[in-house]
Parts: sequence; C-alpha cells; structure tokens
Amino acid sequence: MPVFKLCLKIFKQKLPVMMIYVGLFLGISLLIAGASKTDREKGFVQSKTNISVINYDQSPLVAGLINGLKEIAHIVPLEDEPSTLQDALYYRKVTYILRIPEDFTEKFLAGDEVWIEKTGIPNSIDAVYVDLQVNQYLRIAELYKSQSHMDSATIAEHIKRDMEIETEVKLNGGDEVKQDQSYAMFYYNYLAYSLFSVLILGISTIILVFNNQDLRRRNACSPITASSSNFQFILANGVFAVICWAIMVGFCIIFDYKNSNTPNTLLFLMNSFVFTLCAVSISFLVGNLVKNQEGISALTNVIALGPSFISGVFVPQEFLGEKVLKVASFTPTYWYVKANNTIANLNSFDMASIRETIGYTGIVLGFAVAFLALALVIGKKKQLSQEA
Amino acid sequence: MFIHIFKYRFKSLIRNKSMIFWTMIFPLLLATFFSLAFSGLNEHERFKTINIGIINDVNYQSDIAFQELIQSLSQEKEPMFAAFLMNESEAKEKLVSNTIDGFINVGSPMILTVHQSGFNQSVIKLFLDQYSQTYSAIINIIEDDMTLVHGLVTSLEEGTVYTKAFQLSKANPDNTLMYFYALIAMSCLYGSFFGLREVIDIQADQSPHAARVNLSPVHKLKAFIYSGTSSVLIHTAELMVLLVYLHFGLGIDFGHQYGFVVFTTFLGSVVGITMGAFIGVAVKGGEGIKSAICIGVSMLGSFLGGMMYGDMKYIIDQNVPIVGKLNPINVLADAFYALYYYDDYERYSINVVNLIVFIFIFSIITYRIIRREKYASI
Repeated sequence: MPVFKLCLKIFKQKLPVMMIYVGLFLGISLLIAGASKTDREKGFVQSKTNISVINYDQSPLVAGLINGLKEIAHIVPLEDEPSTLQDALYYRKVTYILRIPEDFTEKFLAGDEVWIEKTGIPNSIDAVYVDLQVNQYLRIAELYKSQSHMDSATIAEHIKRDMEIETEVKLNGGDEVKQDQSYAMFYYNYLAYSLFSVLILGISTIILVFNNQDLRRRNACSPITASSSNFQFILANGVFAVICWAIMVGFCIIFDYKNSNTPNTLLFLMNSFVFTLCAVSISFLVGNLVKNQEGISALTNVIALGPSFISGVFVPQEFLGEKVLKVASFTPTYWYVKANNTIANLNSFDMASIRETIGYTGIVLGFAVAFLALALVIGKKKQLSQEA
Repeated sequence: MFIHIFKYRFKSLIRNKSMIFWTMIFPLLLATFFSLAFSGLNEHERFKTINIGIINDVNYQSDIAFQELIQSLSQEKEPMFAAFLMNESEAKEKLVSNTIDGFINVGSPMILTVHQSGFNQSVIKLFLDQYSQTYSAIINIIEDDMTLVHGLVTSLEEGTVYTKAFQLSKANPDNTLMYFYALIAMSCLYGSFFGLREVIDIQADQSPHAARVNLSPVHKLKAFIYSGTSSVLIHTAELMVLLVYLHFGLGIDFGHQYGFVVFTTFLGSVVGITMGAFIGVAVKGGEGIKSAICIGVSMLGSFLGGMMYGDMKYIIDQNVPIVGKLNPINVLADAFYALYYYDDYERYSINVVNLIVFIFIFSIITYRIIRREKYASI
C-alpha cells in the first residue's frame, strides 16, 4: 500500500509539532486534575470566600468577630503592605480585606461612631456576603451593649451562643452524592482545542502534499487504480484520526479512572468521536483551501483556537455573554461543548433523558457532513482548474 | 545610504505575509477572542438579586415580623432578595428550573430548601441564621428586663452599618485586564521574528542574501542598524494598531497615562527585536530551529506571565520572583499593570529599568558576535 505508507511518512514528519499540542494538553489536564481533587461532601455546604483581616485590636469582642467570620470565610494571613494587599485583591487571592483599628472596641463600647475599613471588589457577591456577617455580629453586640454595661468579653460570650443557632437546610432531591463528572467534562471540552489542532495539522498537510500538481500527475500514471489510491488515502487519514482520538481519550480514562466506569463515559466517547469526524472534514476543507505550510499553521490557530474561546472550552459557557454564544452556535465546537455539559449532569440514561445530548451530537454530525461536502466540492474544483 | 537601505528593507519586510500575520493579525485575532470570552467574567462576579420562594402557609401569614422584614428588603433600590410567595410543589419546580435559588418554610426553626450548594444559597442561609440569632439575642436580653424591648426595636430598625469602603487604588481590580496586558507583551516579543530576520540577512554564513550584503562597500554595523530601524518602525506601528484596537475597539482600560503606555510598548518592541537578534547570533543551527526557539520563548514567557492562566503570574511573583524578573513578558505585563493599578511610579520604574537592562544585554552580545566576522570561505 504505497499511498498509505506515504501518508504515514508525512504524519511522522509532523510528529514533533503535534507532540507539542498533545504534550501541552496532557500537562495542563494533569495540573487541573491535581488541583480539582476536592471530595464532594454530603448535603449542603456553606460557601466560603477568602478574606484577610488586618487586626490592630486584640479585644475579646474582635476575636469573637473573627471567629464568626471563620464560619463563612477562609482567613488568609497577609502583610499590611499596600502592594501586597493590592496584588492579592487583584488576583482574587482574597476578595475582601478588613482593617480593624486599634481603638475599635473601646470606641464601640463607649458608643462613639466607629467603623471597620473594608476593601473589596465593588458590588461583588463576596463583599455582600462578608458584609452581612460583620454587620450582623456588631449589631447583636450593639443590642447587648445597649442593654447594660457589659464588658467586651461577656458580650462576645453571649454572641457566640446566639450565633450557634443555624438554619436547617434541606437539599431538594435527597442528599445522595452524584457521580463527579466535572473533570471528564473539562477534559473532553478541552479536547475540542487540542484534538482539533492536531487533526488539522496532520490531515491538511497530507492534502497539501497530494494536491501538488506534479505529484498528482505522477500518481495518475502509476499502475495503482484511482479507487485504490483514494481508498488508501482515506484509510490513512481515518487511522490517523482514530489513533489521535484514542490516545487522548485513553488518557482521560487513566487520569479519571474512578469516575470512568459509568454510562456517562460511553456518551462522552460517542460525542468526542463524532466531533473527531467533524474535525476531520474541516481539516479536509483546510487542506483544500491553503496554498502552503505556513498557511496551515496560521489557519490552525484561527480555526481551532477561535471557536474554543467563544464556545466555552477555556471559559465555561455560563460565563459567556449571550451574544457571544449566539455567534458561537454557528460553530460545531459550541454544540460539542454543550453536549459534554449535559452529559456531565446526566444521572439517568433512559431515552427521554439522553435525547437532549443526542440532539446536540446530531448537530455536530450535521456540521461534519456539511464541511465534508464543501471540502469535496472545493477539492474537485481545484483539481479541474489545475488540469484545465 | 540610510534612506536607500531603510526604504528597501521596509518594502521587503512588509511583503513578508507570514511575518505580518504572526506579528499583527494574530495578536488582533487573539485580542478579539479574549474580549469575547472574558466579557462576561466580571459580570458573573457582580452581586445580583437573589430570587427566593416563600411557602405561603399559615406560619408565614402569622409571622408578621418576618413578613415586614422580607418586604423591607425587597424594596431597596438594589434589593438583596426578591421574594415570591408560592406553594410547595410550585417551589420545587422552580427550584429545579433555577428560577429561584431556594425556598423557605417559615416557622421556628426556619427551614431552607435548596437544589445545590452555592454562594446564593449560602447568602440565604446566612440571612435566615441571622434572623434567628437576632431573635435569640432579643429574647436573651428581655428575659432580664422587659422594659428594654422598645430600645431594642429602634436599634434594630436603624440597621447600623459598621463597615466603610476604602479603595486601595483608584482603578477597579478587574483581573481580566491581565490577559490583555500579557497579550501586548507577547506581541512585543513576537518582534523577535524581525530581529531574527535581520541577523539572518546580515550574517554571511546564514543566507545568500547576507553574503551579497557583506560584499557591498557598506559598513556592516551601519547596514545592520539602518535595516534594523525599519524593523523597529514596522513592529512599533503594528503594536500601535494593536493598542488602538484594544483601547477603542474593545474598550480595554489602560489607566490614564497613555504616554507611558506607548513608551512601554515601544520599549517592548525593542526588547523583542533585540532578543530575536540575540537568538539569531547565539544559536547555531538553521532558521527553523531559531524561529522555533523564538516561538518557544514567547510561548513559555506568555504562559508564565499569565496569558493562558491569569493566576500564573501571581504564583510566580510570590514564589520565585527571580523567574518573573528574567521573563520579559512578565516584566512588560507588570509594567502595564503597574500603570493601571498603582498610584505611584515605583513599581513601573523598576520594570522599565529591567526592560532597558534586557535591551542592553541583548544588544551588547549581538554586537560582540556580529562585529568583525570575516569569512575565508562559506
């Protein structure tokens, strides 16, 4: 099978560049896997934000306040240095900084006007959340203070007891721990970038080579029939695509083996395979459009990177604007990501529950067919104009 | 002579489509993608009114204090909660469809039902906790002295706020900006393709073009500087297009020191070009390897400077600051960040000095290697 062998040779030549994409992808995936190893707890979990408290007042009242804050926040120790605080806030290492002045308790008990300086991200939900707790604590303190002349320790003691009261929270649908598919979801979404890039690089390079006029003429007069040559050509590309897909998907199952033994995995596999088909037909199209190797690397970046940004590969879809998503819905990546997101949340697998997923995957398949048709038409036109 | 070399160099560079794509079109595209992808991020962080359901039963109807509280909360200009009365089955439906974040069964104790854990749900819980806690505190106090009730109620109604906002900086801590700053820095370093080109076209052992140039009776250093000037001009112009597009097209905030921003970008361009020249002379091997190194350095630098993952820059700055200082992309991005976010110039000046040191080192080494190179045969 000389044509088949030639194709493999060309793939081999492109291997180093493709390995960069694969290596980068796997590296990042491993990093994320390491970072997201949080055990899901049963039942309702109170959210905590990161705050910093710069405290110059060591009274029991303030100590109580800080303890109360620990219920709703992780307290990050930071130096009282403007640039340190500014940087920490900018990069959201803390979302809220409280500065308690030295004479706070004294003035508070004396009934003078006092306040705690807060620095946060304006109008953010974190700021609202922490504000609620700080003001609540001090308002109760105010109640006790107004009643009699208690000292700060007694007040703190009282508030501590009051604040032990908690509301009962029920989780609708029971307390069962769901399968954690969030890693798989991230992984398969990210696949839309890396697998796509690798496929375009490999396949369009081959087509570029085969579209070379002299080479085409030479092949035409070889003793191999056109159908055999075409078959080998398609086979080589198919094998390449399936191998790429299998390698990348295989790593996901290895990284996330705990959660892989579920019907969700099957659906993920199916969805990503359909996306691979779509990527292959887009690669055919690219191969028929570009004129040289430099064009391929430029187009890879535009075609694989662009949709990934606007379709929710790098930034989750719920964070993207409505208009952006509207534009994104013209790309297969958007529907692929949407399918992954629904698969990750599936708990039952009867026809009714997976219908939505199948619909999205179907759209990706439709894109695949459309791009393939387009590629064939353009390829044929190019051939005809060359021969004329 | 200057005009001649400069003019033809300019023409030849501007016709190099691949180089123009990578140094100008690609950053513009990437900026557009960034802006599309990140536009919703800040919105997501902002507090929005939380929708809650309240089960409209006998308990709720009889708890007048709670009714009043809910009403007063919903009436503020930007209310914390929007409360809707409903029955239980309706509430469960709305919970699943995410129309409300939770619903409350009034009573003592209050019961909150949610569909998942999250910030909004936690805020509702905290609010209910506080209602019960305040209630408990009041009971505690009036157990001792009934006459205090009136004072307590007025004190509660005041709803004193004990926190006062202080901003550390005039600028909003908008952390998506870092991606754009790193992007400009990356584009600056893409100038290394220009620098590399210059060296390849002047070192006689690297291209036939250079061999021809070396034969001409022009001082090599002069020829190098003249043609380098057109590289700097083209690259700086490209970067200015990027800046204009970022600011006016995408609305990226650079603070108000536009002069400094332009100056920093120009310095960045020179750093990029001298770095490319340095790689061109210091690395032995073909053009392919040299441009791969240019791309590799820019990519690794962008990654460490926070272009792919914003927190990366902070992690490096906190743990291994020396790596940040040695990474031109990080230094450039940090200079833009300092201009935007800091009120003084200390951090900015340090970054500028750092950049000038880069330029100086790259130029000296390039000069030492290029000068007086004689070829017996190539």
